[in-house]
Amino acid sequence: MNFKEQILTFQRVMVRELRRVRRQPRYVIILTLLATLIFTFFATMMHEGIPEKLPVAVVDLDGSYLSRRLCHELNATQSVEVVAIYNNHTEARKAMQRGEIFAFYEIPEGMYNDLLNFRSPHFGLYSNTAYLLAGMLSYKQLARLGMLAAGAVQREVLRKKGYDDNAIQGLIQPVNMTTHQIGNPWTSYRIYLMTTIVPVAVSFIVILLTVYLIGREVETKGVNRLMRHAHNNAVVALAGKLFPYWFWFSLLALIFNLIMFGPMHYPMNGSWLLMMANTMLLVFAAQCAGVMIAGCLPDAPFSMGVGGIYGALSFSLSGFSFPVEHMPRIFNGISLIYPARHYFLNYRDIAFFGNGLEHCWPSMCALIGFGVLWLIGAWRFQHNFDRGLLVPSSKTLEKKEKGGDE
Amino acid sequence: MNRIRMWLLDIWEVTTMEIRRVFSNKMTLLVFYVAPLLYPIIFGAIYSKEVVNDVPVAVIDEKPSTMTRRIIRKLDATPEIRVDYRCDNMREAEQLMRDHKIHAIYLIPRDFTQSVEHMETGHIELFCDMSTFLYYKSVATGASSVQVDELHTIEEERYAAAGITGETAEAMVKPVVYDDIRLFNPSGGFSSFFIQALLMVVIHQTLFFGIGILCGEANEDRKALHYIPKRLRNKSLHRVTFGRALCYMLLYIPVTGYVLWIVPHWFRLPQLGTVHDLVMFLLPFLLAVIFFAQTFGNFFVRQKTTIMLCCLCFSVVLFFLSGVVWPQSNMPRFWLAFSYIFPSTPGIQGFVHIASTGASLAEVRSEYMALWIQAAFYFVFSIYSLRYIRWHEKI
Repeated sequence: MNFKEQILTFQRVMVRELRRVRRQPRYVIILTLLATLIFTFFATMMHEGIPEKLPVAVVDLDGSYLSRRLCHELNATQSVEVVAIYNNHTEARKAMQRGEIFAFYEIPEGMYNDLLNFRSPHFGLYSNTAYLLAGMLSYKQLARLGMLAAGAVQREVLRKKGYDDNAIQGLIQPVNMTTHQIGNPWTSYRIYLMTTIVPVAVSFIVILLTVYLIGREVETKGVNRLMRHAHNNAVVALAGKLFPYWFWFSLLALIFNLIMFGPMHYPMNGSWLLMMANTMLLVFAAQCAGVMIAGCLPDAPFSMGVGGIYGALSFSLSGFSFPVEHMPRIFNGISLIYPARHYFLNYRDIAFFGNGLEHCWPSMCALIGFGVLWLIGAWRFQHNFDRGLLVPSSKTLEKKEKGGDE
Repeated sequence: MNRIRMWLLDIWEVTTMEIRRVFSNKMTLLVFYVAPLLYPIIFGAIYSKEVVNDVPVAVIDEKPSTMTRRIIRKLDATPEIRVDYRCDNMREAEQLMRDHKIHAIYLIPRDFTQSVEHMETGHIELFCDMSTFLYYKSVATGASSVQVDELHTIEEERYAAAGITGETAEAMVKPVVYDDIRLFNPSGGFSSFFIQALLMVVIHQTLFFGIGILCGEANEDRKALHYIPKRLRNKSLHRVTFGRALCYMLLYIPVTGYVLWIVPHWFRLPQLGTVHDLVMFLLPFLLAVIFFAQTFGNFFVRQKTTIMLCCLCFSVVLFFLSGVVWPQSNMPRFWLAFSYIFPSTPGIQGFVHIASTGASLAEVRSEYMALWIQAAFYFVFSIYSLRYIRWHEKI
């Protein structure tokens, strides 16, 4: 078969696939809606970027003017809100166990007097780090306010001792640190999560869809017709069959990225062209992984289960939340068989650091390299087809026989 | 008496039939047993290091002095930060950052020592790589602890110079002492917080998909009635849902025990709750998931493979809906209400409270009640869903 014929075959298979989709568009629609739902979910749920007005409490054993003022100061901040004032520690702990508050201050008895007499009262600052984000944030805010309060006390005392304000500033804050967050100056959780989770979710959907589509051909006995259309060439058959989906889901992922980096103003310091290539290659690599799984495991339901088990780890092993470098050594290797990992590495290079191809070529090549999996999958598919192994799973046959008897 | 016996026998017949079905299906076995066996171990191993320590950092010390050297030494001594590179200028450090050799740049400007010596405020700049939040968290924690420490050292020196010494100076430096106590996850570890919720998602999802696959298999070619004993097909269908629920319950008791009891022991995850509370809490959870999955499966699943195709990716949404990462207090109303469709939300919340914070059943009452309500609600609906199938297949 020469090249021109192959193109014609490819076209023929593709047209057949498009007809099939038109006849039964259900799953493409559902999956498109699912991807859109995931996008909307993360976009709307974390619209604050970072949680604000987290519920905290104060255990006020002192009941002085100063402790009340501390509550007011806490309420004036953006990140926490005092939702309750308790009279003892146990009540506050129970509220924490019920999940009503994420942190609380315990102001000791006689705090005001101790303060005035230079006896350094001890404050308790309790936080619930079982909820890492909320717990740490409210802890940070409470601790910061504590520092400010301490500073206010120092200032008051020094003023009474006759220092002027400039000298006081130098005395109580000799070192100041400014933090610059490169690529996400708002420390927005939404930016951090969405930019990886949404494309990875699309890739996961594509893996499952690819496995499903190939399995479906086998289950409905359409595989003979498919191979006839493709002149018994599995590579062309699968390419023609999957190309429309690659196009559609790449488009979808591109639209999501376009919305994120465009109107939503997520940081994007590098080349748009590279980012687009990265996204399209992600979908391609996901399809390759799917072909590999479906090609090697001719039993359709079983391959679906394996595809699910493999794909579900994409999120963790992309390393966007917990860095892969800090996982046990073996996962450094395992993460490489996930398209999501390479996508994340590229995304980090392009969007955060504005790096060009000279930095991200290894991961780009890796994504292209997934094509090898495609070839292996197609080869196994061809092999199984030639041996006549691609028949509906035995269970369906048995069932049909049983059904026919009754 | 006889009627009750008959009723129990009917249920048992459905149960045994369903158990046989589960074990004759490769895909359900994969989902029911292989996935819950593998995932907890994988997740446990992935997050076993809990915290990200020794993050490589570059320091730019524009005008070295005793003080700046002391600060850098302190920085290197923190568990969070490792000073890997000393750079002469920003461009050099930036290049290192681009090459991912470092995750933060710590800049001590030229005028720092001079400012401090002149009793003014010295400024330090910290540039963080934000692509992975945990790096940022570690670097920020380490750097700010050094800052606070240095603050106190310099303050003491200055008070001494101003003639304030001894206890008074100490009280001036620290007018208030904060005892910060991190409850339930003292190291701020990632796995202690993440895996607990993940384990519940694993139970919820594997059970849901396993049942969904069975429903899909039954509904393929409209043969669902074959999987109901003949004499029960025209009776009230609650026996069938009950019998099936009993089957999944029996199959899942060992799985749940393994995932929520043995695995946390292996990985030393917090387990503060009592066994009694945990078991009492998990009972309505499993029931709610089972009836929810049956309802969903009977109404919507028509092929055995489609439930995984269409719903597996939803797991990530389910995880975030539970409110362990983004707190429930900050969720938009709509998503909060939406999250209570799924048993995973109260299930995860309650489990985290019991296991991580040592809450008793009294503290998780609202979640516990929510689960019972869900179980009852979905039980009724699962009967209707089966009726729908019966009606659907008879026409």
